[in-house]
Amino acid sequence: MALPLPSGLVPAEVAFLCEMEMITIVPRQRLESIPMLSGNTPALRPPRRADLPLWLALLLKKQRRANIVPPPWLLPASLQEIIHIETNVDPQAFSPPPPPPMRSDGRGIARPYAVTTTTTTSSGRGGGGYGNANGRDEDPNTKELILAPPFLPSCTQDAPSGYLPYHWLEIAETLLAHAADDIPNAPEVRALLRDLQEVRAAKMRGSTQHLEGGGGVLNLRGVGAMELAESRGFVLGVVDGVRKLGASIEASRREEELERGDDGGDESDDDMEL
Amino acid sequence: MDIDDILREVDPASQSIPAETRDLQALTRAWVAERSSPELLRWPADGLFERVNDRIKQQIERVEEMTGDMDPKTNFALIVIQTELERFKYLVRSYLRARIAKIDQHTLHYLSSPDMRARLSETEQAYATRHQALLHNHYLSSFLSAFPPALQNLNDSAGNISMIDTPDTDTAVFIRLLKDSLVEGRGTDGDGIMDGKNGDIIILRWSDAKPLVDSGRAEVI
Repeated sequence: MALPLPSGLVPAEVAFLCEMEMITIVPRQRLESIPMLSGNTPALRPPRRADLPLWLALLLKKQRRANIVPPPWLLPASLQEIIHIETNVDPQAFSPPPPPPMRSDGRGIARPYAVTTTTTTSSGRGGGGYGNANGRDEDPNTKELILAPPFLPSCTQDAPSGYLPYHWLEIAETLLAHAADDIPNAPEVRALLRDLQEVRAAKMRGSTQHLEGGGGVLNLRGVGAMELAESRGFVLGVVDGVRKLGASIEASRREEELERGDDGGDESDDDMEL
Repeated sequence: MDIDDILREVDPASQSIPAETRDLQALTRAWVAERSSPELLRWPADGLFERVNDRIKQQIERVEEMTGDMDPKTNFALIVIQTELERFKYLVRSYLRARIAKIDQHTLHYLSSPDMRARLSETEQAYATRHQALLHNHYLSSFLSAFPPALQNLNDSAGNISMIDTPDTDTAVFIRLLKDSLVEGRGTDGDGIMDGKNGDIIILRWSDAKPLVDSGRAEVI
């Protein structure tokens, strides 16, 4: 009954997660709105494009009811640009993640897409939305929900090109496997993805060098979900192993610092380096 | 669909993410966090699970109604609904099983203090208590009864060593920052402080990450 899997998402679970990403499709058939558990799907009217979760888009694609619009970052030009960034501009770090998507609030102000304030009134049918629009201060009924992948529109047709989203590898592999005819120049995309994967895998392995020192925090900005899942066991094993080996050193260092701290003055200069 | 729904759909100010979608987002986040963190997290207090379970029940009823008519058009909608239902059930089941795995591993720890007990849902408390009682009775009848009475407890803390096994809260985790914030982490050779930006993915110890995650400034991935 208890889950036998190790701590941390395994690749199959990451693949499940990535299927929640929204993707743009061009329907070939009319389809009425379907009442789903996660809200109603948009009614499909060819040739009007619509955004659907990836699993549903794949289902429609398999039944030839729709075509998938590949996200802009999956086009060869964009992938080449990313490879250029990865190899030449910054050979140490991963290429940056996409900038936070914005949306208009209808009053001429661009608001971040990811932040939604929701009023949790007991009536349920969020009626008080207007009164709350300008009063975002500490209202106990207003709850802030910050979205993160896979619920950001990072794979729809409006996504920026030249940035890899968090679920890039899984999405690209899935699309190439099930909708290769919708991706322009699929063989080239496949080759570019392979290059990209190799460049980034080398960076992931290289990042373990920083783990040895045990500096406390390590930033891996721009890393992808599948890359994390692949090396999670290794990376976390190294971090925990280093911690256990150095546990006594750390304990004595902390005692020393505590004593020095009691003498007066915050002497934290020496532990500033990362 | 009434006029309010139509207005809400075209009004960008209301940022119309329906409640169902928000619940899916919250459920997904809770699942990922539970799968990746070394200790049991707090059971969601705002009735998230009750809502999701109610909806799953309603959806099952709808599926039962829809299987009656064999119109090919509704047939496809049925497939979609059933697929999504399975995905939801998988999420819920995996979440609960991940929690049970942690409870099984450190049952006495989670039952030991009111603070820890508060993390469990009512059913989980009942499960953990009964599971522990059964286990202890089994031990008593098979070998513990042969011991002196003073040694028959499972929660001794003689000699400053507690018998109760606790999860290692210093295990490293990956988190993603949701807001710009200062990240402090303890390390073996030195402690690190970092000016974290929204979207940063950071490796650090769970004990250092917990305040960030609890305050909603970061999520476990």
